[in-house]
Amino acid sequence: MRGRKRERVEAQEMNLFSGIINGLGEIWAHKLRSFLTMLCVMLGVMSMVVTTGFVEGMFSSWSTSLDEQGGVEKISGMPRGVEKRQEPFRVLSPGLTLEDEQALRRLLPDLAHISPELDVTVTFQRRGKSHTGRLQGVMNDVFAINRYDVESGRKFVDLDLADRADVIVLGTEVADALFEKNEPVVGAWIEVDRRPMRVIGVLKHYESFYDDFNVLHWKNKIAFVPVTTLQYKLKPGSTLSWLNMKAVDLSKVGELVDAATNILGHRHRGIRDFEVKTNEERLASFSRTKASFYFFAAGIAGISLLVSGIGIMNLMLASINERVREIGIRKALGATGRNIFSQFVAEAVALSLFGGILGVGVAVGVIMTLKATLPPGLSPLLSGSAFVVGFTFSVVVGIIAGIYPAMQASKLDPIDALRYE
Amino acid sequence: MSADVIRFAGVCKRYPMGDTLVNALVDATFTIREGDFVSILGPSGSGKSTLMHLLGFLDSPTSGEILFEDRPIAEISADQRARIRAEKIGFVFQAFNLLPRMDVFTNTRLPLTYHPKPPADAAARIWNALELVDMKNRAHHRPGQLSGGQRQRVAIARALVNEPRILLADEPTGNLDSRTAATILDLFTELNRQGRTIVLVTHDPKIAAYSRRQIHVMDGRIVRVEA
Repeated sequence: MRGRKRERVEAQEMNLFSGIINGLGEIWAHKLRSFLTMLCVMLGVMSMVVTTGFVEGMFSSWSTSLDEQGGVEKISGMPRGVEKRQEPFRVLSPGLTLEDEQALRRLLPDLAHISPELDVTVTFQRRGKSHTGRLQGVMNDVFAINRYDVESGRKFVDLDLADRADVIVLGTEVADALFEKNEPVVGAWIEVDRRPMRVIGVLKHYESFYDDFNVLHWKNKIAFVPVTTLQYKLKPGSTLSWLNMKAVDLSKVGELVDAATNILGHRHRGIRDFEVKTNEERLASFSRTKASFYFFAAGIAGISLLVSGIGIMNLMLASINERVREIGIRKALGATGRNIFSQFVAEAVALSLFGGILGVGVAVGVIMTLKATLPPGLSPLLSGSAFVVGFTFSVVVGIIAGIYPAMQASKLDPIDALRYE
Repeated sequence: MSADVIRFAGVCKRYPMGDTLVNALVDATFTIREGDFVSILGPSGSGKSTLMHLLGFLDSPTSGEILFEDRPIAEISADQRARIRAEKIGFVFQAFNLLPRMDVFTNTRLPLTYHPKPPADAAARIWNALELVDMKNRAHHRPGQLSGGQRQRVAIARALVNEPRILLADEPTGNLDSRTAATILDLFTELNRQGRTIVLVTHDPKIAAYSRRQIHVMDGRIVRVEA
């Protein structure tokens, strides 16, 4: 009983082994033809791995930066143009103001933070050095919502806001532009659009390298002053650029969006010159964009794999036509239809597997080269899942493309096949 | 009395050819016994190839019954017939029919790869079969590197490697010169002397003379069966 079982196992091993050897022999016997077919598979798998790498590379930098912009609990109130029918009444609305901020803060206890922000471009000057960049008028909530930390010095205090104090917090890039390496920054005076201001703090330096590209570099380019200082002294009469809010909990976000919309609508006398958006929406649209990019990439790769499948099928049909006699001989010597079928499927799989391996290899080379040559932030990622998918696809394509020719081969009548010259 | 290997009882085979039916074989009745050396003799187109295909279950009869080891083959599935071929039948063809891209050893092994219960001593059997036909020293040559006689000897080794109940040879000397043909036929005689059952299909009475008994075929009919 045991002996017989071992014989069975050996029989299978022998079949599998000779099947593979035979398949490789056939590939070798038609070197050029097999090579061209494998080239198709190779290009298909390669384009799949490379396009997926591009999409993944692109979105990995996007998702890091989205996270650093406050995550999904963030809600933003933004000014926007009004509808045409409201245009004549537009002047009725005061626009987005600090009074809006106070109303929201008072009426919505589920807001963890609310940060009114006024975003302008100014020129910083100090001892002959000049730097043009962004300046934001803010309250302390901005540090919590947009995830900023003060590395040295201090944040604002209530008195700064109440007094419209001439104090400023600098990002590292702005500080580097105005100060020498070892000069003390905190406590020094600089000019902002010719108005003297005292530096009270410097932000942490932000780095998250994606290849050689710091995806967080924008966080180092900022400078903050109290929103009141900016609104009443530097740019008198300006309204807020936006209001950033953060819910205490993700589950409150929907409720808060509705409430904030109502409150702002009331305060703006029904003029819809604002919109309340969430990061969740951005995240959703981000996921949608990502999905559509993936479909696009998969489409390209799918078509090339389809083409390679057709190539394999064509090759197998041609090969079977030439080997009708061999099939007849094998059948006369005891091969069942199933033996013949699996022989030819094994050959097709051997072909596509080889092509798949080559394709993955070439894709690694292409991605490495692109990483070295493309500007940072654009270059593709080497993703393991793309390899697995590309590899699996090539095997599946081999099996599918092999089935029809193998069925034709297995159905051949041995007598006709033997007579065939 | 030795056991029956194959028995034909009233076997007919008709082919459609254009609009008409061709009677390739009509009412064939005969028995091949263990240890027989039978030649099937007839001119070309007499139906001997049809007979050969029926003997190896490559084809099925239109009517009548074929029994292999007393089992009607009509009751055996196509896969099962293929397994019987791999296990119990050895084929030798006029055109040798070796696979050109495989060496002599691998060609000889072929029936064992399809054998339902491949023997544990497969390699030894292959070497024995090659030794028997004196081709051991060419085991790693390709068929294209061999002469016709050598190729046919390899084909015979291949037919013997599964130690078949019956060896079917279809004009095995048809593509060989007379001297080589004689050595091949001597080999058949020797195999039969060792107890191997052999059916030899030929159009040549001189070749048929090597066998112990003859079945004469003419126009699809068996005209004489020697006892």
